[in-house]
This record gives sequence, C-alpha cells and structure tokens, in this order.
Amino acid sequence: MIEMQNITKYYDNFRALNNFNLKVEKGEILGLLGPNGAGKTTAMRILTCFLPASSGKASVAGFDIFEDSVEVRRRLGYLPETPPLYPEMSVNSYLNFVGEIRELPKSVRKQRIGYVCERIGLDAYKGRVINTLSKGYRQRVGLAQALLHNPEVLILDEPTVGLDPNQIIEIRNLVKDLAQDHTIILSTHILPEVSMTCGRVVIINEGEIAAVDSVQNLEKNATGRPAWKIVLKAPDNFDWQTIVNKAPDAQINDLIQGDASEFKLRLNRSEDFDDLFKVLTKENCVFREITPIKATLEDVFLKITLGEERKENA
Amino acid sequence: MKVLAIMKRELQSFFFSPIAYIVFAAFMTIVGYLFWIVLATSKMATLEPMLYNAAFILLLASPVLTMRLISEEKKSRTIELLLTSPISPAEIILGKFLACFVLYAVLIALTLQYPLIMWYYAPNLDWGPIISGYIGLLLLGGAFISVGVFASTLTENQIIAAMISFGSLVLFWIFGWAKHAFENAFGQMISNLSVFDRYSEFLRGILDSGNVVFFAVFTLTWLFLATRALESDRWR
Repeated sequence: MIEMQNITKYYDNFRALNNFNLKVEKGEILGLLGPNGAGKTTAMRILTCFLPASSGKASVAGFDIFEDSVEVRRRLGYLPETPPLYPEMSVNSYLNFVGEIRELPKSVRKQRIGYVCERIGLDAYKGRVINTLSKGYRQRVGLAQALLHNPEVLILDEPTVGLDPNQIIEIRNLVKDLAQDHTIILSTHILPEVSMTCGRVVIINEGEIAAVDSVQNLEKNATGRPAWKIVLKAPDNFDWQTIVNKAPDAQINDLIQGDASEFKLRLNRSEDFDDLFKVLTKENCVFREITPIKATLEDVFLKITLGEERKENA
Repeated sequence: MKVLAIMKRELQSFFFSPIAYIVFAAFMTIVGYLFWIVLATSKMATLEPMLYNAAFILLLASPVLTMRLISEEKKSRTIELLLTSPISPAEIILGKFLACFVLYAVLIALTLQYPLIMWYYAPNLDWGPIISGYIGLLLLGGAFISVGVFASTLTENQIIAAMISFGSLVLFWIFGWAKHAFENAFGQMISNLSVFDRYSEFLRGILDSGNVVFFAVFTLTWLFLATRALESDRWR
C-alpha cells in the first residue's frame, strides 16, 4: 500500500532522513518510533506530499507521490502534529469545508460528517466553535478531518499527544478499530502506545531506520539471556558465594528490603535457574519475590537510540 | 468547486475577526468626511477628488485586509491541511484573492451613496467619469489585493506581509514621478508602471483598453508569483 525507497531529505545541510526504506501492507498499523527530531514527521510529510524528498522514490496505493501527487492526496487522510483547525469555525462548518476541498459531493458530505462525528464521539459538539473546545476534542476534530473522505491510508502524527489518560485509551481503541478498513501509519514517542496498537514498529534514529520488526520480536531479541530478579531472606550464616558460584554475574544488593536481600542475575540457560533454586531452598533461604526480567520496548528503544547494538539490529 | 470553498471560508473568517469591521468603519468615516469637505470647498458636482483620495485610503487599508490571507494559514499550520488535500496552490491563491476582492467590492459599493446623494441635488450630474472612476477603483483593488496576496505567501508574520505589500504599493503609486525626473524614454518606461497615473485616467472619464489590460496583467502576474511562492515553500 505504501512504499518508500531510498528516501533522503536534506534541510539545507542538515540530513533529516537518510536512505529511508519502508513498506506497509494493506490493513497494517505501522508505528514510527523515535526520539524528538529523529525524522518521523519529515517521513510523514514526504508521504503526504507536503514536502518533497531530496532523493528517492515513494508511492501510495500504487501512485507515485511526485508524479501523481493529486491522486495520492485523494487517498490520504493526514493528522499533522498540530491539528489544522480554524479556531473561529464551528465543528460542523469546518468539517463541511474539509469535505468540499476533499471533493465530496454535498449529499455524501453530510452523511460522512454524521458518520465520522458519531464514530469519534463528536456528535454533541458539532455546533461548538472549535476555539471553545478542549485539547482532547480538538484532537478529535483533527482526526475527524483525516477520516472524513474515507481514505485508504491514514497518517497520524502523534495522535495522542496532549490527551488525558482516558482520551488516550479511547483514541487508541479507535485507531485499532480503524485498521479494519484503513492502512495506518502513526508516529509516537510513547512506547506503550506502540506495543498496544501497532503490529509492526519502525524505530528511527537520526534519520535512519534502526530497526523494523513486530513488537514481540523486538522485545524477544532485546531480552537475550534469561534473567531474574530475586528477593530472599537468607539465614545468618548464609554464604553468598553459593549464588555467585552458580551465576557468576549476579548483582547482590545486601539487605535492601528490611531483612531480605535483593539480587538480579542472568543465566545462560533456563535450567540453571532450577539448580540454583534447589541449592537456595536447601540452605533454608525464604523467597519473597521471584520475577523474570523481560525487556520492554523501552529497553529496545534505549539500546538502539543510544547507539549500542545499532549495527546488530539494523 | 474548491475555489469557491476556499473563498467562502475566507469570507467567513474575515467577518469573525474584527479586522474587516474596523477597516470598513475607518474607510467609511474618512470617505464621508472627504465627500463633505471636498463639496464644501469646491462647490462642484464632481466625485473626482473623493474617488482619487479614496484610492489612497484603500492603498493604506488593503495590506491590512490581505496580510493574513496565507500568513495565518502558515502560522496556525492549517496550510498543511490545504497542501495535503487534492487542491492546487493556484486554486488556493485564487480563492483567497476572490474572497478579498468580494470584500473590497462591498466596501466600494457602500460609497455609491455619495454619487446618489449628489445626483439628488444635481440631476444633470455627469455619470460618465463616475462610472469609469468606479471601474478604475475595482481594477485598482484587484491590483492592490494581488500584491497583498503575494506578500502574504512570503512570510508567516502578518506585520511583515502588510509592510511588504504596503511598500510595494506605494512604490507602484509613485513610479509616475519618474517621468518628471527624467524626461526621456527611460522615465516614461518607469512611469508606465504607475498604477496611480493609469487610475487617474479613469477618473477623468477615459476608459482606455490599454489601462484595463495593464491592470489585468498586473493582477494576474502577482497572483502567478503568489502561486509560485506558495509552491516553492515545499521546496525549501
């Protein structure tokens, strides 16, 4: 549905995107993840024909973004970082205007405005002047604008920024819902958002793709060797060396939780944990907590964007 | 019609902000004063001095009307909506121009009360120069607005846009002085660009097709440049 090939973008001498390659299939939700200034917005602006790339090729729904820019724009819905709203207009007249420039015939326009407002929860706000709406509702109007012409492709630039937790959940569910009939690219720097909504994640750093994979795979790869966090109460004469013998890289923080000790360890094989467990129970240790440590997307993200393992994952 | 959609929305927002009302009020006050003072001094049934001065007031007022046209879209980022919709920069520029021109035409139409008042007291009023004067005023308005639209595409700062269009308009107003400075072909060439010289011919009742063509070409040129400037934003 969407394809970007070797897209490079310079702003004067600053390289915002470097050899960007991306393929998104129909019905997919793709998350663009990266720190601020990584190039997420630039990539989206190129796809929406708002900015031209310095070099490279891209197409949306089979139409080249340079050659058939109008055809591409007809098939795109775009919610920029700042929702493009006219503060003095009412929600209804704003959406009507968007419908007009989106080439919807009058009868279809009315029906689509009704449908979109209902779906986004704007029904009660149609008559309100945009200026008087809260940030969350403005974001919804922005989203309504992007959906109005029922585009094949939706591009959402940080759709949940500035919303309160309830609204974030609503918008996330909405986005998931929409994926049934739309192909969606969304950008964010909120990690849980990606794990919850997106099927696939592209991690961008300094204008380059640092990793592309499903959320599960990225997490699995980052975890590496199995690891645990253990809190236990040891008898007074306990020899801590017992643990170190089994797990050489265990970090032991003595007595950090009242009378118990906490330590983290990483083992080569899961079976090693069984042995350790047996030894510790024999020594009369009391377990307070045993938690397997799983890498979150956050770890993946930090690892990649801080430069470690960048080459390996790329 | 996407051009009409742009125009309609623009007109709406003109009347949502106080700018249009203030410009209307200021212009009507000044023109009313001019009509009275000119008539009181000259005691002649002619509108030429009033229309001549009205044009100068419009030169001051039109940058205020045009400054926000594109600048504001850039500042509030709504330009992203327009440029990612299936609408061309030319349609955007044309819609904006027409909106402002309609506003201007309404403003001009409000001054038609003065020739009517004059006609009431002077039934043998010479309508020729008045009609050609109003045609000139409309053409002049198109020229003023097109320069303003162009200036507004250059920046997201409305004050800068107003200053650029004001500066350019004054320059095109006083180009006519060149023919007194250099009494040769060069001076004549520059003063041919003067919108004021051409406008004053309309006031004298001369409907010269050359002047009409000049205003049409002048307006289209600036609108074309504005379209180009809006397109070039993407390339920067």
